[in-house]
Amino acid sequence: MAATAAIAGLGLTDVGKVYGRSATDFAAEAVRLAAADAGLAITDLDGLLVSPGTKGSPKLSLQKVLGLRDLRLLAEIHALGASPAAMIAAAAQAISSGEATAIACVFADAPLREKGSSREAFGTQRSLPSGFASYHLGIGAITPNLFYAMAARRHFETYGTTSEQLGAIAVGQRGWAAHNPIAQFTKPITLADHQSSPLIADPLHLLDCCLVSNGGAAVIVTSAERARELAQPPVDILGWGQAHPGQIMRQGSNFGLRTGAAVAGPAALRMAGVSVADVDLLELYDSYTFTVLVTLEDYGFCAKGEGGAFVSDGKLGPDGSLPCNTGGGQLSSYYLTGFTPIVEAVVQGRGQAGARQVDKKDVIMVSGSGGVLEHHATLVLSGASA
Amino acid sequence: MNDTATWPPMRRDAKSAEFFEAASRGELAIKKCTDCGRSLAPEAMVCTDCGGSVPAWTSASGAGTLITWTTVHKAPNPVFAPMVPYTVGVVELAEGPWLYARITGEPRAGAALRAEFVHPAEGESYPTWVVTSGQ
Ligand SMILES: [Zn+2]
Repeated sequence: MAATAAIAGLGLTDVGKVYGRSATDFAAEAVRLAAADAGLAITDLDGLLVSPGTKGSPKLSLQKVLGLRDLRLLAEIHALGASPAAMIAAAAQAISSGEATAIACVFADAPLREKGSSREAFGTQRSLPSGFASYHLGIGAITPNLFYAMAARRHFETYGTTSEQLGAIAVGQRGWAAHNPIAQFTKPITLADHQSSPLIADPLHLLDCCLVSNGGAAVIVTSAERARELAQPPVDILGWGQAHPGQIMRQGSNFGLRTGAAVAGPAALRMAGVSVADVDLLELYDSYTFTVLVTLEDYGFCAKGEGGAFVSDGKLGPDGSLPCNTGGGQLSSYYLTGFTPIVEAVVQGRGQAGARQVDKKDVIMVSGSGGVLEHHATLVLSGASA
Repeated sequence: MNDTATWPPMRRDAKSAEFFEAASRGELAIKKCTDCGRSLAPEAMVCTDCGGSVPAWTSASGAGTLITWTTVHKAPNPVFAPMVPYTVGVVELAEGPWLYARITGEPRAGAALRAEFVHPAEGESYPTWVVTSGQ
């Protein structure tokens, strides 16, 4: 299909162990960078979509921080790791309907504090909860690591998936990260390194888990037509979809086996008028290696249960046949939830990825996932005209 | 797991009082939909089958099977440093609902589990699950 909306600007602040700035500070800088990147003045924006970080900021008040006036679209969109893709889909719809003409979509977070470890950034319990929350805390069932580990374990037991197969994903992404100047971890790793990295929550090793980062990212969405007159090569928005299955905790639940990607992915591809066979490049949400594996299955790149065998030949890495998470992803480069894959999709779609640039970028499939595989959003982008 | 370590104490609130009160008697309380009869998790405020909004408390047998689990090696919070490694998992109760639970014994997919009750010095009593057999 011919795209009606496109990504015309990209703003990425310093990311990682960057201290002394709030999530709102990062968000404001990301929007300014994105507007400048597109060749727009900040006053050209008539739409702003904001996704808050772990502490609840940035908020709607980002409008005032940026001094934006007379906006025709302003909202917080909060679907956890699916938020960035959901914001861009909402922006594309607003562009298509004519509701607004230049919309900034932004996410920022600042969970890390100086001298604090990543674990403390998300894991500190200052006051003890009561009720069922105190039951979960009291049995030690807290933090995403444990719940993703239980999801992965169920997949392992059901389909025979192995830790070495997850390791192939980590190794491939680190291979890509070596060519990304802003990646935090660029030293190549082997499968043996993955296997000998400490167990966090069995079966997940340290090298199965994403980083924690401070920083912010934003894009400017405008019409595909206008994007072609602006400063950067346009990245067209061809399709999108969301799925929130509402996993139930009872007999028959798909927990760990099937996610919303199985609905959102095909819907986005259908809207774009393409199939998985047409996908040149994948930028998949990678909170954990397992998230990538189950998303590949749900999107239909391989049959359900065959994700482990599918990735084990290294096809996702720099020398493989299906480039995936070409910036190193959240495992190796930096963690800005659903914006990490989107930023890399835009850079690749424009043909600006330098040593890691892929040859074909006509169809780029991007995922965002939130909660413990509970919320999913997909984008299908194209750098065909870039 | 170090048995002398102190797990964070549990505290009842209005929505969980019956669950913890039953645990103090050595019983497992879950919910049941008053409209369709479906057994529901203790936390359930609505029925996920029929949408019924008035689940009532009922007793469960305490028998279950192990759906999935993780053995935790890196303490998710410094509080748990003395307890690692410990195992938590998802128990499918014989009545159908799933619960997150602490597991003792050798975990295996489909293993039969039996509820036992912990009565700590501080905080509420609560159920844990023991592996009784493999399949
Ligand atoms: Zn019911």
